[in-house]
Amino acid sequence: MTRRVPILRQNGILIASIQEELSDGDILALQSRILSDVVSINAKAVVIDVSALDVLDSFGTRTLTEIASSVELRGARTIIVGIQPEVAMAMVLLGLDFRNIATAFDLDHAFDLLRAA
Amino acid sequence: MPQVISSSVTAEPSVDEAALYFDISQADKELVSHLESTSDEMGDILIESFYAHIMGHEEAAQHFRDESHLERVKRGQKRYFADLITAPLDDAYIEDRRRIGQIHERARVSPTLYIGAYSYYLTRLGDHVRQTMKDDPEQAFAIAFALMKLAHFDMALALETFVSAREDTIQAREREISELPTPVLKLQDGLLLIPVVGTLDSFRARALTLQLLEGIREHRARAVVLDITGVAAVDSAVANHLIQSMAAARLMGAQSVLTGLSAEVAQSLVKVGVTGEALNTAGDLQSGIVLATKLMHG
Amino acid sequence: MNSASIQTIRSDGDIVVARQTGRKIAEDVGFSRADQALIATAISELARNIVVYANSGEMEISPVETVSRSGVRVTAQDYGPGILDIKAALADGFSTGGSLGLGLPGTRRIVDEFDIQSVPGEGVTVTIVKWIGR
Repeated sequence: MTRRVPILRQNGILIASIQEELSDGDILALQSRILSDVVSINAKAVVIDVSALDVLDSFGTRTLTEIASSVELRGARTIIVGIQPEVAMAMVLLGLDFRNIATAFDLDHAFDLLRAA
Repeated sequence: MPQVISSSVTAEPSVDEAALYFDISQADKELVSHLESTSDEMGDILIESFYAHIMGHEEAAQHFRDESHLERVKRGQKRYFADLITAPLDDAYIEDRRRIGQIHERARVSPTLYIGAYSYYLTRLGDHVRQTMKDDPEQAFAIAFALMKLAHFDMALALETFVSAREDTIQAREREISELPTPVLKLQDGLLLIPVVGTLDSFRARALTLQLLEGIREHRARAVVLDITGVAAVDSAVANHLIQSMAAARLMGAQSVLTGLSAEVAQSLVKVGVTGEALNTAGDLQSGIVLATKLMHG
Repeated sequence: MNSASIQTIRSDGDIVVARQTGRKIAEDVGFSRADQALIATAISELARNIVVYANSGEMEISPVETVSRSGVRVTAQDYGPGILDIKAALADGFSTGGSLGLGLPGTRRIVDEFDIQSVPGEGVTVTIVKWIGR
């Protein structure tokens, strides 16, 4: 079973809202869709909403970091939104981090950050 | 907290120690018992005159505002002095002396008041002995010295108990403070202040992390000032917890600023490999809030 | 009483199922939400190791209880090539499967008991236990 993450396009911003837990394959599929969409609409920013996830392990963290790095090479920004407290704590204890990637509490916050930039 | 072991008399004074440290023997007890009738006669008078004497001072008058309180203290003191003369020096006696020491601590009877009253009583009683035993100064001296030994042992007992009761009180208060839930204060929309006060051990640091992260979720916070001015010491384990908390806060999208670092705390942080660049720090709360506000608006 | 769950781990979908099962068991045992997330994450790492390094294996997730405490035990077993140098595999930054190399050392940090046995050519068995309130 594959879970397709909806990706919205709004004023040059891609918004990927993860709705449920993803398998590694689903995350890789999301990665390639985001990257091709960034190119096709020449997006200036990618917002990935992960608030529905209750686990972000080393694979998920690494893949999201790769997405952000690729997006950055296209001259666009990535903001990861909605990491839950328990998930944040587990990531930190595992030694995982989103270094050099912007994070936001919710979509409003993410848009504020994009406006401020 | 490690148990504090007193260097003078151990925490559990015994009859043996009365002999060891104060050179008290059964002979002393017998000598002092000669004073039984004198002490009976003079007990009331001495106590009354002592309180008449000290009540002229404002502090003492303040302490004994309540008439019935004063009467209770006088009655207790009379029995206390009577026991000094007549009660056998045994475990029950020591236990009783310790109990009274505890009462003193609770009733805030200061060592000054206690020793002052004792001294007043002893010198007046000694004076009486000198005058009534003019024909036998040897015996008068012997009685006075025996009385002195017993009185010193009494004072040691009372003070040991007083000090250990005071330590218990302080420890209990420290524990209370350390178990206080840390408040999460909303300074303005999106900005939280968490003032951490007391002892920060690993257990409490972990609870603090959860409070911080829950606080961010609840208030939709974008920045948090963690003020540790009120934290005495931070070991490397706790320093690690603090750093992890701030890293987790950032993952949630909130910037955090650490303020109020003492020199020792700063050193602990450096030891676990933290640099000022990796961590937003500010000298005082005021500049911490300014920095957090700046970070909050990107 | 909760019962143990034994699952075959063969695909990335099985990893998702394993961590969901683990979270559920952790919740039933009485773990806090924060600890449930830790247990689910640890299971995710162990299950992925099976898929990535050995193609397939088994995972047993069970509640454990002693007189004084309760917790969850997870045993991940595979019949793959095994690990030649366990010490290196437990060092931060080590990876032969293209992961971040944080899986095993990270997992070890977040659990209370961690045991790893490997016979080269025969496979790896990792057992972890996490107790409540530690």
